Amino acid sequence: MISKSWQQRLLTLPPLGYLLVLFAIPTLIMLFASFRYTGEYGGLAPWYAYKDGGLTLELTLENWQRLFETDIYLRLFVKSIGYAVFTTLLCILLGYPLALMIARSPRKHRDLLLLLVILPFWSNFLVRIYAWMILLSPNGAVTQLINSIRDVFGLAPVSLMYSASAVIICLVYVHLPFMVLPLYANLEKHSSALLDAAQDLGANRWRRFWNITWPLSLPGVYAGSILVFIPVLGMFAIPDLLGGTDGVMIANVIKQQFVESRDWPFGSVLSMVLTAAAVLVVLLGAKFGRQGGR
Amino acid sequence: MKKLLASVLLMTLAPLAMAVEQLHLFIWNDYIAKQTVEDFEKSCNCKLVQGYFTSTEEMMAKLLAGASGYDVVVPTQNAVQALAKQGFLSALDKGKLANFKNSDPAFLKRSYDPANTFSVPYAFTTSLIGYNEQQLKKLGISPDNWSTIFDPKVLEKLRGKITVLDDADELFAAALKYLGYSVNDRDEKHLRQAQQVIIKAKPYWAAFNSSSYIKELAVGNIWVAHGYSSDMVQAKNDAKAAGRNFSIGYALPKQGAVLALDNMVIPKDSKNKALAHQFINFMLDGKNAAALTNEMGAGNPNRAAAKFINAEIKQQKAIFPDTATLTRLETIEATDARQRRLLSKLWTEIKIK
Repeated sequence: MISKSWQQRLLTLPPLGYLLVLFAIPTLIMLFASFRYTGEYGGLAPWYAYKDGGLTLELTLENWQRLFETDIYLRLFVKSIGYAVFTTLLCILLGYPLALMIARSPRKHRDLLLLLVILPFWSNFLVRIYAWMILLSPNGAVTQLINSIRDVFGLAPVSLMYSASAVIICLVYVHLPFMVLPLYANLEKHSSALLDAAQDLGANRWRRFWNITWPLSLPGVYAGSILVFIPVLGMFAIPDLLGGTDGVMIANVIKQQFVESRDWPFGSVLSMVLTAAAVLVVLLGAKFGRQGGR
Repeated sequence: MKKLLASVLLMTLAPLAMAVEQLHLFIWNDYIAKQTVEDFEKSCNCKLVQGYFTSTEEMMAKLLAGASGYDVVVPTQNAVQALAKQGFLSALDKGKLANFKNSDPAFLKRSYDPANTFSVPYAFTTSLIGYNEQQLKKLGISPDNWSTIFDPKVLEKLRGKITVLDDADELFAAALKYLGYSVNDRDEKHLRQAQQVIIKAKPYWAAFNSSSYIKELAVGNIWVAHGYSSDMVQAKNDAKAAGRNFSIGYALPKQGAVLALDNMVIPKDSKNKALAHQFINFMLDGKNAAALTNEMGAGNPNRAAAKFINAEIKQQKAIFPDTATLTRLETIEATDARQRRLLSKLWTEIKIK
């Protein structure tokens, strides 16, 4: 008979092993690659060589120095983080009322409403982006609608495609369910007795929301924010397809290093910085999430 | 329920039972005619499985990262050189390529593979300017000049209606040509000049775009696109087929442009080299090679194809360059790690300026 704590440990082994093989080891390989030289036609040069009869290590700090020798990469990180923060805030703003509405709706409707939130996942991510490309194109429905409204006020027509706003619209669209689901999971557990008690004591709607619902929902907000922030930070397909001439994010440059420049070491440097930024956000989110959940 | 399960099981297992020989082809997107695929499958009683790439870099990255299982790859000339040096290619057995004699000698024995040990020419494209004929006529812009995409005075009239290739090699090559240098000029001073040209023109461009400009041109969302000749032919045909009230044209800039000669090669780890040779020989047949030009708008390095090619296409200098035009076209040579690093830095600077 295996004791209960051993059972638990055995159960956590597969996911731990999975993370070790698919996250920790690749990250270490990447870290190592960031100190190596590029091969002549891409890939990596050997990291050791026999010279003058002795073994020499062919490693360098050069790739990391390149990160700091101009400010373009750091500016790009700041810009990408800005996009990610903005998208996350918009997702909270749009996702919170939606999650609250679903959580407070009659029980028999909830499953259907949740299903509707998940529904977009049934079609491929790129197909949905292409759909937005059509909607936002000069002859697309969204652009035509906005421009006909602008026309009433005598404003010049705008172009939505290939712009920062097109990128943000799609980033929010794609990631909104990741905000709604954890928020719903949290809000659904709130006891209505608390709100009733507050009402009996004379608190109005806003007061009940700010003093009870909002503080209790913070763990859900942090969880949703992490789920939105991190994938947005590493997104390259949306800026590639919808961004204009200045629409790139950091992940586009990482892709460029691995694909076009065939410069794996420098691509690894940028990836490591991105991973570090993501880990930092998770740690902060987890810290605040725990405090909020007290 | 049981019946349903059984039929699902049958459906998933059926392809296994009927497995036929497969030829795995790794090729540029839209670079083989549908009819040709069907004809080949009939002739070999096998299945042609295509994998696509949209840039040389993407193809190289995939192959160098260890993608295997391809029997025939269709890389551009500079990639042939790089792949051959990596020992990635298997030497061709000319004895199995009876149609090799059809290849135009003007496209053989080039510096990237001096004896055509590893490669035979498949088709070529030029990088040029595709445009909306009516809009450009209205604006009085002549498209046969790189100034159409680089000169702010011209661009003033085209703001937001123009895309350029999202490809550092191609865009720098165009800017270098605009400045009167060779597309293979790797002098840092000249590259910085080219970078300045691009940065000054960038605010007028709608996007860097290597994939959807065919559609954008044919729909009428953009008026000028920097891209490949075969894509422009497709945009022209698409616009015509959709019955648009405008037409698409394309022009080779008079300063000269990039010629990309695509080749068929067999990777060393191909599991079916006999079938791979059979495919290459099939594609060297005049009629099959001609389909590439008639349907895809690709330039044709095959002499036997000439008599099968539509007369209208034959007159297009961008597709059928005459000797005078050929001298203005340059192929991009392979770059080393240091050159690529510089280009990548200049390119990133452009992207975030």
